[in-house]
Amino acid sequence: MEAVQIQNLRKTFRLYHERSGTLKGLVLSFRRTRFEDIHALKGISFSVAAGETLAIVGKNGSGKSTLLGIMAKVYRPTGGRVIVNGRVSALLELGAGFHPDLTGIENIYLNASILGLGRREVGKRLDEIVSFAELERFVDAPLRTYSSGMVLRLGFAVATQIDPDILLVDEVLAVGDESFQHKCYAKVREFQSRGKTIIFVSHDLKAVRDVATRAIWLDSGEIRADDGVESVLEAYVNESKETGASDGPR
Amino acid sequence: MQVRNEPKGLGMLKELAELVRYRELLLNLVIRDIRIRYKNSVLGFFWSLASPLVQVATITIIFKFVLDIGIPNYSAYLLCAFLPWTFFQMSVLDASMSVLHHGGLVKKTYFPREALPVSIVLSNLVHFILALGVFFIYLLILGTPILITWLMLPVVVLIQLMLNLGIAFFVSCLNVFYEDVKYMVTVLLSLLFYLTPVIYVTELIYYAKRMQAIPEVYRQLILKLFYINPLSMLMTAYRKILLPPFNTENIKDIPMDYRYLLLAGVTSFLILAGGYAFFNSRKWLFAERL
Repeated sequence: MEAVQIQNLRKTFRLYHERSGTLKGLVLSFRRTRFEDIHALKGISFSVAAGETLAIVGKNGSGKSTLLGIMAKVYRPTGGRVIVNGRVSALLELGAGFHPDLTGIENIYLNASILGLGRREVGKRLDEIVSFAELERFVDAPLRTYSSGMVLRLGFAVATQIDPDILLVDEVLAVGDESFQHKCYAKVREFQSRGKTIIFVSHDLKAVRDVATRAIWLDSGEIRADDGVESVLEAYVNESKETGASDGPR
Repeated sequence: MQVRNEPKGLGMLKELAELVRYRELLLNLVIRDIRIRYKNSVLGFFWSLASPLVQVATITIIFKFVLDIGIPNYSAYLLCAFLPWTFFQMSVLDASMSVLHHGGLVKKTYFPREALPVSIVLSNLVHFILALGVFFIYLLILGTPILITWLMLPVVVLIQLMLNLGIAFFVSCLNVFYEDVKYMVTVLLSLLFYLTPVIYVTELIYYAKRMQAIPEVYRQLILKLFYINPLSMLMTAYRKILLPPFNTENIKDIPMDYRYLLLAGVTSFLILAGGYAFFNSRKWLFAERL
């Protein structure tokens, strides 16, 4: 079965030049165009089968994060559609919904409800979340007393413990220390073995080789290659070398 | 479970159903808002009462000793409109910043965006209800009679809730695109404070000495204008249902016309529906503009 279908997806952002953001600016620039349209995605189509692990690679500004954002329903597409079968958990930023003045426990409930999980369901998984995040001693302390690593662990623990069918990940695995990354990849493997679908964006080509079963190369909002990991990465690395892109792969 | 993301939005009822599906989030946001507000203060909830209480005490003393307008227990009439006014003012002010304050959340996660302004209004509703509780204790101390019209209170609160939500939708959405809105709201609120019968009673519009110079027809018209404004009507209604009528030498009680309360209900509902439609038509642009 298809977990995700992307049909002729287009996204145009309106970039405002000298966006004043004030009414005065609105009045002064009345009927004058002060923006240009940025075509972040130019009509792409593909589908992801359930159980696949898809890596999306490409230069900065190629539309990777936009694509993930539309799959996560943060943005509306300009044209085309995304059809998702199953529960989605999007890790576009770890701990995006955390509040520094609330305790760890309070933040778990809040963050889980942002991901669409009820109090009862969270209650059942509370122990797992806390132990995965290794925060047993700190759950009653306000989040502002946490180290950044602790916040990352908590964010990842909540997002993965809600048991999604489809996991969307944007770069976040590249942060955190060695042992945290190790733990994250172990979790990703566990997801794979349970037949979950994972779609992730990464500049870390080693990680892509290690985990992905398929790769898509996005370039200026279009799909340049969609194939097995090795062949896509080879084409991508070759071109990056030629153009000598500063933000190229490592 | 199949979820689609397409250029066209859902209808208003489906958006509402989605908000209901996310009721746990709404509840958590309300709890968070209440907790955060007093998290690091020793006296907690007391602070939400302190500000209106101090203001009312000040105004009471001034009206009792300096500007005696001759209404017994004037502090009760004052407080009776002041608490709902605070509910309105805080809902609108807090809501105007609600989406902006959650920029990080809006840019990185999916959830019905209306949860932000709605939760702000609901947490202010909680404060309002607690303040009303204190107000009833105050009424018992003053010894004002218990009235059958107290039963109307939930209806009036519900109408105000709809009005507050409707305005909250407009300001929270507009403030994302034009940050002037926040300042405009502050200015308009201080103007509105004097345009609605909060520190004065509605009857004064008709009976005040200076107003007597205006022909009767026009005074009736001005009174009607006050009744048509849902906020003025609500302030009047709170007084009429919670407190006994007063009659002094110069100011006669004008009984409440329930048709105008009905009108306020209809207007508030329309503002709510309009505000929600306005918010929905723009809420998926928030992530792009923040």
